[in-house]
Amino acid sequence: MGNVRKWATSFLVLMLIGLVIAGCTNSEKTPDTEPTVTPESTAGTGTENDTDENKPVDGGTLTVGTFSDIVTVNPIFVQDTSSGDAVTLLYAYLYDLDRSGNVTVEPWSLAAEKPQISADGKTYTVKLKNTAKWSDGQPVTADDLIFTFDTIRNPDVGSPGISQFDKVDSIEKVDDHTVNIKLKQVYAPFQYSLFSQLVPAHVLKDVPAAELQKHPYGTDPAKTVTNGAWKWSEWKQTQYLSFEADPNYWGQKPHIQKVIYKIYADQNTEVQALIKGDIDMVQAIPVTQVDAVKGQSNLRVILEPGPQYEYLGFNFDPKNFKDNFVPFGTQKTRQAIAYALNRQGMVDNVLKGTGLLMNAPFLPNSWANPGDAAVNYNYDKEQAKKLLAEDGWVAGDDGILVKDGHRFSFELQYNAGNSRREQVSAVIQQNLKDVGIEVMPKGIDFAAWVDQNLTPGKYNAILLSWSLSNPDPDAESIFSSKYFPPTGQNSGWYKNEKLDELWVKGYSTVDQNERKEIYKEVGKEISTDLPYIFMYQYGLPQGINAKVQYAEEHRPEPTLAYGYLYNIINWWIKG
Amino acid sequence: MTEYLIRRILQSVLVLFLITLVTFALIHAAPGGPAQIFLSPNMSQEAAKVQMHNLGLDKPVYIQYIRWIGDLLQGDLGYTFKNHIPVGDILWPTVKNTIVLMSAAWFLAMLIAIPWGIYNSTAEYGLSDQTASIISYIGFAMPTFWFGIILQEIFALKLDWLPLSDMWTMGKEGQPSDLLLHLVLPVTVLTLGFLAAYVKYSRSSMLEVLHQDYIRTARAKGVQERRVVFRHALRNALIPIITILGLDLPMLVAGAALTENVFNWPGMGRLFVNMALAREYSVLMAITLIVAVMVIIGNLIADLLYALVDPRVQLGRKGGRAA
Repeated sequence: MGNVRKWATSFLVLMLIGLVIAGCTNSEKTPDTEPTVTPESTAGTGTENDTDENKPVDGGTLTVGTFSDIVTVNPIFVQDTSSGDAVTLLYAYLYDLDRSGNVTVEPWSLAAEKPQISADGKTYTVKLKNTAKWSDGQPVTADDLIFTFDTIRNPDVGSPGISQFDKVDSIEKVDDHTVNIKLKQVYAPFQYSLFSQLVPAHVLKDVPAAELQKHPYGTDPAKTVTNGAWKWSEWKQTQYLSFEADPNYWGQKPHIQKVIYKIYADQNTEVQALIKGDIDMVQAIPVTQVDAVKGQSNLRVILEPGPQYEYLGFNFDPKNFKDNFVPFGTQKTRQAIAYALNRQGMVDNVLKGTGLLMNAPFLPNSWANPGDAAVNYNYDKEQAKKLLAEDGWVAGDDGILVKDGHRFSFELQYNAGNSRREQVSAVIQQNLKDVGIEVMPKGIDFAAWVDQNLTPGKYNAILLSWSLSNPDPDAESIFSSKYFPPTGQNSGWYKNEKLDELWVKGYSTVDQNERKEIYKEVGKEISTDLPYIFMYQYGLPQGINAKVQYAEEHRPEPTLAYGYLYNIINWWIKG
Repeated sequence: MTEYLIRRILQSVLVLFLITLVTFALIHAAPGGPAQIFLSPNMSQEAAKVQMHNLGLDKPVYIQYIRWIGDLLQGDLGYTFKNHIPVGDILWPTVKNTIVLMSAAWFLAMLIAIPWGIYNSTAEYGLSDQTASIISYIGFAMPTFWFGIILQEIFALKLDWLPLSDMWTMGKEGQPSDLLLHLVLPVTVLTLGFLAAYVKYSRSSMLEVLHQDYIRTARAKGVQERRVVFRHALRNALIPIITILGLDLPMLVAGAALTENVFNWPGMGRLFVNMALAREYSVLMAITLIVAVMVIIGNLIADLLYALVDPRVQLGRKGGRAA
């Protein structure tokens, strides 16, 4: 049967192509794989200067380019950026954040006033505005809040937000617009759990918990009742989503009449579309294209570090190493590595001169930044060599350091296809080679990497980043020995009893000044002990067409999650 | 003939079944399944497990396969894993879009390439033949997506004559003139790809026939050259060309992922890449199945056409196959 073979062959080829594609890496799934940023904003046509046109006009369409489709707009299940963008337009937040990341109440927040925290720090009283309404005309009440939080807390639902509510003891209705939330213990980061959206109890209360994820609420525009300035009008899967200003919106109406999210399969095409004017805004321009966009007079580019940082993470589990020997098992050796790395050089060359160096897991512009309390490691090869020698490392025959018969050589993993990490890992390799350490960078498909290395905690060292969804400095779940793999996120098996205690202390008081002191101590300890080499904070270049206008006080705020849509309710489109 | 068709169709069903089985197994064997989609700094492993359970992804692979094939037999392609959307809702619109794009390019390429190849076979190494060679080399060698980017740069950005990407301008959906404008660039890219092969095949296939003895005999007995080429040679030369066209038929549905991506054409190729990255296996399975069916149909049509153009081919009889 010659023809069977013929088409069997063509078929096999097809399947192989499919597998290769399936094996390709994907950036949007990671919390962090996007490129970089330059910190100063290159002003194109600043809106704040031309006083004539400073008056907002109503109407117009804002078309936003994006790289990936949404999954669901049901806030209980949202965890990817595209879905998060849609949710930000469709729903009012219970509380909003000011530019410094403090929980606050805006005219468009659902809450009427800031949360009242009881004297013992365990009870939060939330008061809702009595004007807020759902898009079907029903009022937003305490029942919605209780339903939403109880649903997230319900382990049968599978909400990714469940860990944010694990300290909650009970939620009680005081009256139709007031709720008391009691915590089991003082837990300061809880204030940021209130920076969230609500779902309508009257629509979802009869859906069994295990069925919620399959429910069309969140995927069918007609069945998705929301409470924000825009409502969901259309979703063409993998093509576009559109949102129309809700004529029945309870607050002050937005200026922009229609928002379209257009999905591009190719980032290059997306950027070309921005230049051509097919779309008005792109939230993450690849670094390689930033210059092309900057050259356009009708576009402005916002280049500031965002809420994410990159790190070189060590693994401390001897099982992952040859002869069960962890080469960077001692503090001194890790400090030597920190001295050996030219971080500023990476920022200058790979991140094109920007990004901000950091020495502890707190963003440089946050209130918890320990500043000089954290140890800063300058690029100093000699100091690195000195420390390595003190720690017992001597040069072997091939120039690579040896200690007790073990060669100083390790594999550095990152996700293949991330060009920034490709470049940075090459710099790390060179920097460490200069002091006698052999690094073997290895790019792995992201999904396979997570599956086989990150989740089980099986690797030598990794180059990865964390993106911070809220401004709270608590990072116990990343660094504490309570959170070992495979269930926890401390994938490097790092254990430091002093830090374990400090993290608990840090969230056990709601006094911000007291917390600041504790995180200073954390910063000092963690930058001395170095579970990670903290590299830099970086961001995603946002490109905006000049016809998108906003007053200076309503400009995008790149340092916050979803900050590229900050105060979008006050933006307008110049005709 | 009927008997032959029935046998072919029965064979096809069996083969399709095996294909789904193998594909399903391979897809699930690839590292990083749908579970990894749930990775997020905010999401605990427990919550991910609950989601997997609620979505039925924690069942053994063979159970998942039996369910999938059971649904399929009832005409149900299943749902996406992550948000429970019927696969058909996502898939069918893209099939239509791909057929529009690919058949435009395919017919255009055929219309240009076959007559051109025939002409070139009669004027070997002439100017036209040389030009065709150069174009073919370019068509084979140049990555289509790269060619697409160049065309976009020139005609959409610099000259601003044509749209950059997509199938419709927002708000002009359904206007034929808008569709035509959007077709120009991607069709140009794809046509060049098809053309490169077709012009070469038709030329060489014709040449091979023209060098046969019976053509010399025809010429020797004074048959007009026109008649020699079109009546005596073409019919035989068409057989291998039909094979190629038949094998390319599935392409009309499968689409060209790279070209569709560059031009953001909402077709099945683009969807396939998109869904592969999202690990939406149910959509991938559906696409694979559709393409497999098209491969079978394409081959069947090619075989049937052999019989039409070549009386020596007797379908259904052992050893009766030419070509």
